[in-house]
Amino acid sequence: MADLFSNLGLGFSVALGLQNIALCFLGCLVGTLIGVLPGVGPIATIAMLLPITFGLDPVGALIMLAGIYYGAQYGGSTTAILVNIPGEATSVVTTLDGHQMARQGKAGIALGTAAIASFFAGTVATLLIAALGAPLTKLALIFGPAEYFALMVMGLAFAVVLAHGSVLKAVAMILVGVLFAAVGTDLETGQERMTFGFAFLTDGVDFSVLAMGLFGIAEILRNLDQTEARDVVRERIGRLLPGLAELRQAAPATLRGTAIGAILGILPGNGAVLGPFAAYTIEKKIAKDPSRFGRGAIEGVAGPESANNAGAQTAFIPLLTLGIPPNAVMALMVGAMTIHGIIPGPGVMTKSPDLFWGMIASMWIGNLMLLIINLPLVGVWVRLLKVPYRLMFPAILMFCSVGIYSINSLPTDVMLIGFFGLMGYLLIKFGFEPAPLLLGFVLGKLMEEYLRRSLTLSRGDPMVFLERPVSAVLFIIAFAILAAALLPSLRKSRDEVFTEA
Amino acid sequence: MDAPLDGTSSRRGPVRAPQSLVAGLGLIGLGVFGIWAGSDLDYGSLRAIGPGLMPFWLSIGVGLCGLALAIAGFTHDGAPLQSFTFRGPVVITLAIIAFAVTIRPFALGGITTPGLGLIVAGPLAIIIAGYAGTEARFIELLTLALFLTAGCMLLFGDMLNLPIPIFPTAVVQAMTGVLPARTMLRLAAGAMALVGLGLLVVQRRSGRREPIEVARHSLTT
Amino acid sequence: MKKALAFGLLAALTAVNARADSYPQRPITMVVPFAAGGPTDIVARIVADPMSKALGQQVVIENVTGAGGTTGITRASQAAPDGYTIMMGHMGTHGAAPALFKGLKYDPATSFDPIGLAAGTPIVIVAKKAFPAPDLKSFVEAVKAGGASINQAHAGVGSVSHSTGVLFDSQIGAKPTLVVYRGTGPALNDLMAGQVDFMTDQIVNVATQINGGTIKAYAVATPERNPSLPDVPTTKEAGLPGYEVSAWNAVFAPKGLPEDVRKKLVAALDAALKDPNAKKRILELGGTVPKDGEAGPAALQKLVESEVARWTPVLRGAVEANQ
Repeated sequence: MADLFSNLGLGFSVALGLQNIALCFLGCLVGTLIGVLPGVGPIATIAMLLPITFGLDPVGALIMLAGIYYGAQYGGSTTAILVNIPGEATSVVTTLDGHQMARQGKAGIALGTAAIASFFAGTVATLLIAALGAPLTKLALIFGPAEYFALMVMGLAFAVVLAHGSVLKAVAMILVGVLFAAVGTDLETGQERMTFGFAFLTDGVDFSVLAMGLFGIAEILRNLDQTEARDVVRERIGRLLPGLAELRQAAPATLRGTAIGAILGILPGNGAVLGPFAAYTIEKKIAKDPSRFGRGAIEGVAGPESANNAGAQTAFIPLLTLGIPPNAVMALMVGAMTIHGIIPGPGVMTKSPDLFWGMIASMWIGNLMLLIINLPLVGVWVRLLKVPYRLMFPAILMFCSVGIYSINSLPTDVMLIGFFGLMGYLLIKFGFEPAPLLLGFVLGKLMEEYLRRSLTLSRGDPMVFLERPVSAVLFIIAFAILAAALLPSLRKSRDEVFTEA
Repeated sequence: MDAPLDGTSSRRGPVRAPQSLVAGLGLIGLGVFGIWAGSDLDYGSLRAIGPGLMPFWLSIGVGLCGLALAIAGFTHDGAPLQSFTFRGPVVITLAIIAFAVTIRPFALGGITTPGLGLIVAGPLAIIIAGYAGTEARFIELLTLALFLTAGCMLLFGDMLNLPIPIFPTAVVQAMTGVLPARTMLRLAAGAMALVGLGLLVVQRRSGRREPIEVARHSLTT
Repeated sequence: MKKALAFGLLAALTAVNARADSYPQRPITMVVPFAAGGPTDIVARIVADPMSKALGQQVVIENVTGAGGTTGITRASQAAPDGYTIMMGHMGTHGAAPALFKGLKYDPATSFDPIGLAAGTPIVIVAKKAFPAPDLKSFVEAVKAGGASINQAHAGVGSVSHSTGVLFDSQIGAKPTLVVYRGTGPALNDLMAGQVDFMTDQIVNVATQINGGTIKAYAVATPERNPSLPDVPTTKEAGLPGYEVSAWNAVFAPKGLPEDVRKKLVAALDAALKDPNAKKRILELGGTVPKDGEAGPAALQKLVESEVARWTPVLRGAVEANQ
C-alpha cells in the first residue's frame, strides 16, 4: 500500500508539471473535438499528431495522446446523444436512450449524466490500474481463443436484449450484421469474400462507414420524412445538468457499469467493445420496468457510459504490462512509444517508472479536465439543437463526408455512407433497428476469427468450448440471457410473439 | 422505432401485416443473394473452416428469419406499410456522390473527375443536400456553406493536419512556389468567412424572412 | 463551376512554367501502406524527419492501408512521377506481393524508380516459454517430428510473419498447423499463454517479450547478432545458415522521375540515414541501417529482383495449398 502511494506520488509529481498539464489539457480538448465530429476518430487523429509529438519528451507525448484517446470517448457520447450518430462501436448503445432523452428535452441531463458517470468510472479504473495492473495481466492469459469465442457469443446474446421491438427482427439484424462483417479478404486464406470484384470492398466495410450510414444519414432521411419528429428535440431544453434525484437513479447503474467495463477492458482481445453492451443488458434485465429502456431511461446512459470509459482506461493494462495492444488505438500508442524509444512491455514499470506512473496519474487528471471541459460545454451543445433542422442536416452530412473521407482518403467510403444511409432508411421503414446490426457487425468479425482459431487449435473438436471452464460458464450465461429474452415472449399470446420482447 | 399495432384490426384479406410480409421477403432475398455471393467459396471442414462456411450459414439464417416474418405477415396482425418519400433519399444521395467525386480525382470507367478539393466539394454537398428539405433557400445555404467550409478547412486542414485535399489540384500546382499551402488555406478560409458575413448582413437588411415560409413550417419559428 | 474552370485554365498555363523550377516547392507526400504505429510506419516517420530537413520541404506521411500494403503502393505507383509522391515499400509489397495477389496492378521491379533501402528489421524465431528444445537444432528437429501437432502462429496472409514463417517451414521441410491471427499483438499474446508453439517475426515486435522472459528466442535470421538481443545466436551460428531473412523497408517513387528530382531524393535519403538521431532510433528498434553496398537505388533494384525471385516459389505453393 505504501508503495502504491509513493508511486502515485511520483506519478502526480510528473503529471502535474506545467508542461505535462498543458499537454494533457490540449490532448483532452483535441480528443473532445474529434469525438464530437462525426466520422473523425481517434485513430486518424493520433496518427496525424504522432509527428508533432516527436519534439516533446516521451512522457508529455504519451500523456497528450492518451488525452486524445479518452477525450474522444467523452466527445463521442455527445454526438451519440445529440444527433444519434455513434462515433465508435462503444457509443452505439448510448444512442438508444441518450438520444431519446434529448428528444424529450433532457439533452442536458443526458450529457451531464454521461460526463459524471464517465468521470467516476475513469477515477475507479485509474485506481485499479495503479493498484492491480500487474497481477491483473494473469487474467489476460487465461483467455484463449475458445474463451474469446464464448465471450463474443455472449455479446451477440446481449444484442437480442438490446432491441426493444420484435425479437425475430433483432435476430435477423444481428445475422445481417455478422454477414456484412464477412465481406472482404478472408484472414486465413487471403481469398476475397463477397466483394464482387470491387477493389474498395477487399478490406471489408469500415465500422465508421456503416455507423455513419445506418445512423447518421438514415436519421437525416427519416427526419426529412416526418415534420413533427424533428422539432421535438428543440421543443424544450429543460435543465442543463442532472439533479440529485437523477444522480441517485443513475448511481447504481454507474457502479455496475464501471465494474463490467473495467473487467472487460483488461482482456487483450478487445473485450472492451462489449462493456457498454453488457452494462446496458444488465441494467435492462434488472430494471423494475424494462420497457422504459429505449425510451429515455437514465440508467441506459449512465451504465454504458461508465462501462465505456472504464474499459477505455483499463485497456492500457495489457499495453503497459504485457506490451500487447488490445485495439487499434492502443496499437498506435505502441507506435508512439517505440518512436520515442520506449518499447512497451513488462519492463516499462521498472525501467521508466516516471513514464508509467506519470501516465497513470495523468489519466485521472485528464478525466477531471474532461469533466471541467464538458460540463460547461453542455450548455453550448444543447443550444446547438436550436439550429433549424434545414440548416442542421446539410451540416451533419458534410461533417460525416469529411470525417469518413479523412479515415482512408477513399471517395468510395463516402459513397458507401450514402448506400448504407438508404439501407438504414429502408430498415427503419420496415420496423428494423440498426443497433443490433451494428453490434453483430462488430462482434461478427471477431467471433469468426476466434471460432476458426479455436477449432484449428482443437483440431476440429467443438467440445473445446465446453471443456474449458471459463468458456463453458460464458456459454451458459449466453444461453440464460437468450432464454430470458425469448421465453416471456413465447408464453404470451401468439399474436404478440413477433412484436414484443 | 417499434411498429405500432394500430389501424390494422379492421383490415380483412389474406395479408394481415403487410410490413412483416415485405420485410420478410426482403430478408429472404438478402439470404438468397448471400448464398449466391458466397457460392464460390470453400466451406472447409470443422478442423479447418473455409471462408465460405460462415457466410453460407448466416445467409440461411437470414433467409429463415425472413421466412418466419413473411409467414407472420399472413397469420398475425401487424403494422401496415409506411409511406415513402423520394425527394429526401434522392437528393441526399446526390449530395454525397457530389462530394465523393469532387474531393479528389475519381475515375469511373473512362471518365476521371478533376480533384477540386474541400473548397468546392464541401459547399457543393451542403447546397445540394439543403434542397432535400422543402424549405431550402439558396442564400441561406450558401452562407452556411461558406462558414462551414471555412471552418472545416481550418479544423481539418490546419489544426488536425488531416491529409484531405483543400484546393483543386490544378490550383495547388499553379500556386506551388508562390504561396505556402498553409498561408493559402488560411487566406481562403478568411475570405470565405468574410463573404459569409457579408451575406449574413445582406440577409438581415433585406427584410426578415418571407412570410410564406413561416406560415407553412413550424421549424422556422 | 465557372470559377473552377477559370482556375483550371489558369493553372494549366502556369503549371508548365512551375515544373521546371527547382524541386521541391511544396510538401512531399510519403505513402505508407500500413497503419500508423506499425514497424513500417515507424521507420517512415524516423526517416521522413531528416529527409524534410535535407529537402527543405516537409515530407508528410500518408497512411493508406489495405490488402497487405498493396492498396497504398498501387495508389502511389499511379501518382504523377514528379517527386511529390513517394512511398515506403517493404519486403511484402515489393517482394512477396506478386506471389500472393493475383490481380496486382504493379510490378515491383519495373513500376518504380527505386530511391534506396531505409532500414532492415531482422526476423527472430521465437517459441513459447515451455517449448522443450534447448537450441535451434533440436527445435528444428522437434518441429519436423511434430508435424501437424505443432502450432505455428502468424499475423495473416501476406504479413511478414506469414511469409517468413512459410519460408522457414519449407526450408526445414516441416508442415506445422498454421494458426492465423489479425496482427502480431494477439498472436504474441497466445504465444505467451502457450496456446501456440512458435512463430517468426520482426525483432521490434518481440524483443521486449524475449528480454522479459515470457517467450524464448532460438535465433536471429541475420549474418550478425543484434545489439538488442545480444545473447540470441544467429541462424548461421545455430546451424541453419540458409535461413537469413529481414523485413526491409525502402523508399520508392513512381516510375519516370526527372533525373534531377531523382538525384535530390536519393541524396535526401542518404543524408537522412547518416543523421545520427535517425540512425540511433532505428538501431534502438533492433533494426539495421543499410551498409555501403546496400544503400542507393542500384542496390535496391537488385534486392527487389532477388526478393521477388525468392518469395514467388515459396509463397505460391503455400497459398495454393490453402485454397
